[in-house]
Amino acid sequence: MTESAASHVSQGNADGVSLRRVSKTYGLATVLQLDELTFRNGEVTGLVGENGAGKSTMLGILAGTVAPDAGGDVVINGDSVHPGSPIASQAAGVAMVSQEFPLVGQLSVAENLTLGMRPEGKGFFFSRKSVAAVARGMLKRVSLDIDPHAPVSTLSIPARQLLEVAKALGRNPKLLILDEPTSALGPVEADLVISIAREHAANGGAVIFVGHRLEEVREAADRVVVLRNGRLVADMPVADATDDRLIKEMVGREHLATVTADHSGLARSAPVFAAEDLTAVGLGPVSLSVSEGEVLGVAGLMGAGRSRLMHTIFGAIPRTGGTMTLAGAAYAPRNAGHAVEAGVALVPEDRKQQSILPDAPVRWNVTLATLRRLTRGGFFSPKAERNRAKEFTSRTGARFASIEQPIGSLSGGNQQRVIFGKWFAAEPKLLLLDEPTRGVDVGAKAEIYGLIDEARARGMAVIVASSELEELFHLSDQIVVLRHGRIGRVLAKDQFSKEQVLLTASGVKEIP
Amino acid sequence: MTRSQAGTSNDAPETVQAAPPVRRNRLRAIVDIPEFGVVAACVLVFVVVTILQPRFANASNLQVIGLDLANYGILTIGAGIVILTSGIDLSPGSVVALCSMVSAYLNVNVGVPVGLCIIISIVIGMIIGYLHGWFVTRLDVPPFAITLVTLTAAAGGALALTSGQPVSGVSFSYQDLTLSKVAGIPVPDIIFVVVAVVAWILMERTYIGRQIYAVGGNQEAARLAGIPVKRRLMLTYVISGACAGLVAVLVIGRVGVGDPSIGNGWELDAIAGAVIGGVSLYGGEGRIVGMVFGILLLMMINNALIVLNVNPYYQQVALGLVLGVAIVADRIRARSRGQARPRGIPIFGAGGSKQAGKPTPAA
Repeated sequence: MTESAASHVSQGNADGVSLRRVSKTYGLATVLQLDELTFRNGEVTGLVGENGAGKSTMLGILAGTVAPDAGGDVVINGDSVHPGSPIASQAAGVAMVSQEFPLVGQLSVAENLTLGMRPEGKGFFFSRKSVAAVARGMLKRVSLDIDPHAPVSTLSIPARQLLEVAKALGRNPKLLILDEPTSALGPVEADLVISIAREHAANGGAVIFVGHRLEEVREAADRVVVLRNGRLVADMPVADATDDRLIKEMVGREHLATVTADHSGLARSAPVFAAEDLTAVGLGPVSLSVSEGEVLGVAGLMGAGRSRLMHTIFGAIPRTGGTMTLAGAAYAPRNAGHAVEAGVALVPEDRKQQSILPDAPVRWNVTLATLRRLTRGGFFSPKAERNRAKEFTSRTGARFASIEQPIGSLSGGNQQRVIFGKWFAAEPKLLLLDEPTRGVDVGAKAEIYGLIDEARARGMAVIVASSELEELFHLSDQIVVLRHGRIGRVLAKDQFSKEQVLLTASGVKEIP
Repeated sequence: MTRSQAGTSNDAPETVQAAPPVRRNRLRAIVDIPEFGVVAACVLVFVVVTILQPRFANASNLQVIGLDLANYGILTIGAGIVILTSGIDLSPGSVVALCSMVSAYLNVNVGVPVGLCIIISIVIGMIIGYLHGWFVTRLDVPPFAITLVTLTAAAGGALALTSGQPVSGVSFSYQDLTLSKVAGIPVPDIIFVVVAVVAWILMERTYIGRQIYAVGGNQEAARLAGIPVKRRLMLTYVISGACAGLVAVLVIGRVGVGDPSIGNGWELDAIAGAVIGGVSLYGGEGRIVGMVFGILLLMMINNALIVLNVNPYYQQVALGLVLGVAIVADRIRARSRGQARPRGIPIFGAGGSKQAGKPTPAA
C-alpha cells in the first residue's frame, strides 16, 4: 500500500495508460480492435457503447482478467504491463469497480476492504482493531456510514457498490476504472461517486467512467470515447458529447425514435390494486392505488424502501399490517406463490441473483412461473412447453440462437426480455418492476419501455421502482416518493421535476 | 441444430453467432448430450472386460451385477434428486440398516406379515427423510450436517436393536421377492427400472420436478417465481428416505437375515453414481438417465475388478479414480460451455444458507 502510494506521487512525466494495437478475438469473432487509445492522467474519460461493443473486454484487458491477442501493448506511465495477469495489473496500479460485486459475504466490511492488503508491521498476524481503523478511513472517503464489523451479506446493494468503490480507492490506483458504478445507486450516491471520480483525476490519476446514463457520463467526464463493434468510433471533449451525438455513435444509425409516453387518453378507472396502511419491517404505513393501464412510479433514495415495498406487495416479505385489494377482492399473500396465483408478478432488481436460473435453458426460464398451468393431471407435454416458451419470447422480442441455450449466455437486455416473457405468460393483473432496466444497454432500454407500454395496453396495472428519475418521468402517470419507508409525496404527471423528487426524497421539504 | 429465431435478422451485435452449417452436426449433437460420456464408458467397459474375461458376460454374473445394481441404483436415484437441489444426503446406507433391522425384527419377533413390514420399512425411511427436510428448511441446518447425524445415529440404532446380533428366521417371502427372476431378470432390477421410470416422469414431465431443478439452480429466483421452495426441498429428502426404505427390504432377501451392519458406506457409492452420471454437486443439473448409467458403470467396474482378479486393495483406488475422472470431466464440460464455477461450497451451501448471502432489499 505504501509502495504504490509512493509511486503514485512520483509518476513523472509519463502520460497515463495506453492501449496500443490491442485486439481480442474469440474464434472467428473479433470483439476488440484498437489502434491506440490513451487514458490520460488528470482526466476522467467517459466510456460508452452498447452491450457487446467491447467495453467489458477492453476493461478486462486493462484489469488483466482478459488476455489480449499477441502483439499489442498495455502501457502504464511508460511501463509495459504483462498482459493477462490480474496481479501484474494490480501491481501496476489498475483498480476496477465492476458491476458485479466480488465481495465475500460472510466476511465483515473491514475484512473485505483490507482483503489482499498486508497490514503493516504485524508479521503474520493482524489486529482486529487496526483493520477496523484502516477500514473506517476507507469508508469515510465514500461517505459510507456503516459498521466496519457488519458482515457484507447484511448490506443493501447500493451500500455494497459504494464498498467496492472504497476498496478500489484504498489501493491508491493510478488508473481507476468505474464500470457502471452508478447503476445500482440513487441520485445522491451517484453524485458522490462522480465527485470521487473527479477528485481522483484532480489528484493526477487517470479514471475511466463507464455509464449507461449519458448525463452522468457527461457530468463525470472531461472527454468521452465511444466503442462500437469492438472499435473506437469517436473520441470527443465532453462539450461535444450531446445525447444525440453519443447515441448516434453508439448505435451507428440515427437516433431511435424515442417511445413517447402519451397516455393522456386513458381515463382513470377503478383501481386494480390498492394498499391501505401497508406495513412491514422498515416500511410504511403506505397507502397507494393503481388502475388498469396505469403506471405508478416509485422514487426514493437508497434505503428508502422501494424494493421492500415491491417485495411486500408480492408477499415475499411478511406484511405486518394493513390491507390490500386486487381486482376488487381482498388480497393477502403469505408468500410469492399466492401472489402469482392471485395475478401479481415481480421483476426483481438483481437479475442474476433473483430472476434467472443461469445455467438452465431459456425455455425453462420462460415457463418457470406458469408451468403448472400447462400441466394436465400434473404432467406437461414438452411440445406444449416449447411452443409456449417460443410464443412468449417472441412476444417480448428476446433474441437467441436456440430456446435450449442457457439464459446466462444472453446479454442483459435479452435476459430481461425473457423474464418479461415469463411474467406476460402469467397474465398478471399487477406487474411490479424493480429497476427494470438495470444493466441493459440503450437500445434494449427503449425496447423494455416498449414492453411496459404493451403491459399497460393489455390492461395490467404497473408499479415501477427506479433510481433513474428520467426513466420514471418517462414511464409513469404518477410518482410516489418514498422516504424512510413512507410516502413523502405524490406527484402527478404535470408536477414531475427532479427538484421536487430530490427535495422530498432527501427530506429537505416537509410533507405538504 | 441451430434454429434461427424470428427476429435474429435485426442488426443487434449481441446476437449469438450462428454456428456454420456443417454436416457433422448430428454427430456433434449426440456427443453434446451430457450423458454421452457415461453411456459410452458403460459400453466400453462391457466390451473390453468381456474380451479379457468372457465369464463377465455370463448370465449368472450379469445377475450378480443386476442385484447390486438394483440396491445401489435405487439409492442413487434418491440421493441424486437431493443433490439436484444442491443438498446432500449422507444417510441412505444407515437408513437401509435401520429399516431392514426393524422390518426383520417385526417379522420374526412380532409376527408382522411381510407385506406390512415392507410398507413400514418404506414409511420409516420417509419419516427420516421428512425430518431431514424439516431441519434443512425450518432451521437452516446444512444438509451435510443433519444427514451426518442420521448416518451415525441410524447405524447405531440398527446395532442397538439386537445388540449387534443378526435377526434370523425371516419369512421366505423376502427371498422370494429378491431372488425370483422374470425371464432371467431379477425382480429387484424390475423394481429398480420402475423406480427409475417414475423418477424420470417426475423430474422431466411434471411441474414438481421442474420446480425441484429450479430450487437447485437458483433458490431465490425460484422463490420469487412463486415456487414453494421449502416443500420441494422437503419432498426430495422424503424421496431419498423412501428409496432407502425400499432397498432395506430387498437386502433382507439377499442376505437371508436382518443384518445390522449392512449398508455401511453405501451412501458414498450412491452419491458417486449420481456424480459419475453427470449430477452437479452445485445443484440444478443432472438427469435421471445419467444417474442410472452412472451407477451401472460403477457396478460394472466393481464386478470387473473382481472377475479380473485385481488385488482388492487396488479396487478401491480404481473406483476413486473413476469418480475423479467423472468430476473433472464435468467441470471441463461446464467450462467449455462458458459457465463460471458457481460460488460457495456445494455441500454446505444448500438449504437456507444460500439465502443468507442475499442482499436485504433496501434495508
